[in-house]
Amino acid sequence: MSSWLDYTINGLIVGNVYALVAVGLALIFGVSRLINFAQGSIYLVGAYIGWVAVVQLHTPLPLTIIVVAVAAAIVGLIIERFGLRPLQNSVRIAPLLATIGISFVLDQLVMLTFSPNPRALPSQLPDVRFQVGGGTIGPLDLLIAGVGLTSALLLFVFLRYSKLGWAVRATAQDRDAAMQMGVDVNHVNQAVFGIAAALGGVSGLLVGMYYNQIDTAMSLQATLKGVVAEVVGGAGNVPGAVIGSLLLGLVESYGVAVFGTSYRNLFAFLLLVIVLVLRPNGLFASARQAPPEPLTGTFIAPSRPVRIPRWALLVTAGVFAILPFFPVSFYVLQTLINAWLLGMLALSLTLVAGTVGQVSLGHAALLAIGAYTSALLSLTLSVPVGLAIIAGGLMSAALGTLLISPSFRLRGHYVSIATLAIGEIVSLVILNWESVTRGPIGISGIPPLSLFGYDLVSPTSIYWFSFVVLVVLALLQGRLLGSHLGRSFRAIRDDDIAARAYGLGLNRYKSLAFIFGGFAAGVSGGIAAHLYSYINHETFNTQQSILALTVVILGGLGNVVGAIVGAVALVGLPEVFRIAAEYRILIYGIVLLLLVRFRPQGLLGTI
Amino acid sequence: MTTGASEPLLALSNVNTFYGQAQVHFDLSITVGRGHIVCLLGGNASGKSTTMKIILGLVKPRSGDVTFDGASLLGLTTPQIVRRGIASVPEARRLFADMSVRENILMGAFVRNDRDAVAQDLDKMLTLFPKLGQRLSQRAGSLSGGEQQMVAMARALMSRPRMIVMDEPTMGLSPLYVDRVLELIRTINQEGVSVFMVEQNASLALEIAHEAYVLQTGKIVLSGPARALRDDPRIRDAYLGGSEAA
Ligand SMILES: Nc1ncnc2c1ncn2[C@@H]1O[C@H](COP(=O)(O)OP(=O)(O)OP(=O)(O)O)[C@@H](O)[C@H]1O
Ligand SMILES: [Mg+2]
Repeated sequence: MSSWLDYTINGLIVGNVYALVAVGLALIFGVSRLINFAQGSIYLVGAYIGWVAVVQLHTPLPLTIIVVAVAAAIVGLIIERFGLRPLQNSVRIAPLLATIGISFVLDQLVMLTFSPNPRALPSQLPDVRFQVGGGTIGPLDLLIAGVGLTSALLLFVFLRYSKLGWAVRATAQDRDAAMQMGVDVNHVNQAVFGIAAALGGVSGLLVGMYYNQIDTAMSLQATLKGVVAEVVGGAGNVPGAVIGSLLLGLVESYGVAVFGTSYRNLFAFLLLVIVLVLRPNGLFASARQAPPEPLTGTFIAPSRPVRIPRWALLVTAGVFAILPFFPVSFYVLQTLINAWLLGMLALSLTLVAGTVGQVSLGHAALLAIGAYTSALLSLTLSVPVGLAIIAGGLMSAALGTLLISPSFRLRGHYVSIATLAIGEIVSLVILNWESVTRGPIGISGIPPLSLFGYDLVSPTSIYWFSFVVLVVLALLQGRLLGSHLGRSFRAIRDDDIAARAYGLGLNRYKSLAFIFGGFAAGVSGGIAAHLYSYINHETFNTQQSILALTVVILGGLGNVVGAIVGAVALVGLPEVFRIAAEYRILIYGIVLLLLVRFRPQGLLGTI
Repeated sequence: MTTGASEPLLALSNVNTFYGQAQVHFDLSITVGRGHIVCLLGGNASGKSTTMKIILGLVKPRSGDVTFDGASLLGLTTPQIVRRGIASVPEARRLFADMSVRENILMGAFVRNDRDAVAQDLDKMLTLFPKLGQRLSQRAGSLSGGEQQMVAMARALMSRPRMIVMDEPTMGLSPLYVDRVLELIRTINQEGVSVFMVEQNASLALEIAHEAYVLQTGKIVLSGPARALRDDPRIRDAYLGGSEAA
């Protein structure tokens, strides 16, 4: 790579690949107002099916592409039929969560089948490059461009000239009216999921060939990039998704040219946040369009929370408090310490997502901010650890709220995308801001937990410390929910338009929720940093954000006791059943799916 | 399926409808005779549009029955109901704004597979709604309200329905267009299509209807032949009562 022309070609080619993912997302969003978080997993599946075809079955290239498209389409149809169709009449958050669960399950299945190690995916094309102007172009570039253009043409013909294509367009514009014309929306959903999956799968294949490498981390990246491109182009806007993708490809390519590879993703997410804040309907939306998400009330499953008598809570807390006096193994204490830390994160998320209705998918970023703040303060400025952890909580509260505040005017799924992007941005800043965060090397030698000069190194003392912190945070939050403020929070969640009409300043309340939630999460991250003694930009990743979300849904959104019960269950049960580490994420994904389908209000009910 | 000539085409019997906890219909019973124009009057939020949605299967009642041509519609999905021969002109038109006028009208024939006959019917629509001729390739969203109403009616007719249900077809139209729409409804009806329409404008609707029902907060408070209701002093009271309750 040398000339600008090369960077342009590279940008357009990568953009083409993103477009295959983004167009599918746009089709799906168009007809069902759903951001399909499983799109990247289908792309992953496509790449691995392609690998099997090329490396084991030695299929010729055209056949490989067809095999991948068909197999991926089948996966898409299965997802639609069994994952999403049963949720048609559920609360609006249900399909979104289901696609997250499905993506976890698919990714883990691929990982368990093929191992997490990267594999080479040869392109089967001659390795030559032609001179064009000041740059070069290879057969693979041409293939990708050709597949992109052919797909666009086929899609255009389908949408414009076939009956089913008309049904897709009509449904996208007005679902009820389309049904009144006799359109069967299930057929339309099937069609778009099949098409989206075929395109996504082929995209995965092409990317694998382009970099001659595939691995399971591709999935989340692809979803994120596709979502960025789609939102930039205007959610649900198919041509917009293509242009958004090419734009994203170019921005990344030029960005890498100027700043270096580790900045690649930062540009994508900054672009996303900027577009979300300035033009939530995308760059090409006409002013006429209303935001495609009339969301009030029904986002969270309404239910009657399970009443737990006060004495039962006290007794349970008492049992856990005196647990270390009994001959329990270090292993049990260790597991419970993890549960208490996850519980703090869950308290934070259940407040933000459950009580205020801002379903955050980037909550791990708050852990990271707390952890880095506390680690750096204690390490470089020798701040006592206890104080450093509190400072970490405060920093998370302040910085987290500041970062999310531009997105306060967003609703529903857009909040989820924005928080996901902000989470990624935080992790990328940590990676690139080497002078402070030590970049990819991470921070090692973080001092152990200590309080008033006494080191807390025994599992028992760490156990008590984290348990007390958790209980204090939970009591505070319980107080908060019973107060006037808690009622205002729920009013915003249930109907933000009505809440505004009553004169509630939404931004102020959302800020308060993120401040409180940010503090709890930051404290959890701070404690974790001193426990682990080493952290880097990947310690607190999206997987943890999703785990926290699963915990919160398991317990019941908004439910304080539920958050802790959920944390103990999700951390503890895999230990009790001695489930091997590599199966755990799979289990979490399945738990999430089952909950969404059969008990969206969680174990203890939403509040 | 018995289809005696005296049996009504559409019948709602003792329908109770809820949105969550809130009850919208109380023992609602309405019949639409074959070849008739039946009008449902009522103030805002009295449950008129919900009645349309019940007929179309977009909302399902908690109890009661809806029959069309003697067979219950309750177990059917909206597309299945449409295939039985019920077309609709929804509240506020609900055109496919980004599709062309031609595409909108043809979407009405979605349930049909006889291409040639569909093409002929499109031509027929253009004689019935001559103004649409020059607008065929225009975006439907860019038409005026009156023109949109024409498209919505043409679209509904394209399925060759036995019955059309219309939700406030004259809403927001200039007096000229209102007359035109009423005229068209009469024409459509004379070609054998039964009509069930929801209206707020009682005097207009009663001009063309054969029978009418007055709905007030989910209950039928008055019903009978349109001619009789036109002269009924209570119609004004009941009707205004409905608006006040809203
Ligand atoms: N999807 C819904 N969810 C909850 N309540 C609804 C829903 N649709 C309608 N309602 C309520 O049901 C009642 C009847 O509504 P409906 O739309 O049938 O009234 P309408 O008679 O058509 O009124 P208008 O003259 O204003 O069109 C209203 O109080 C309305 O708020
Ligand atoms: Mg209405």
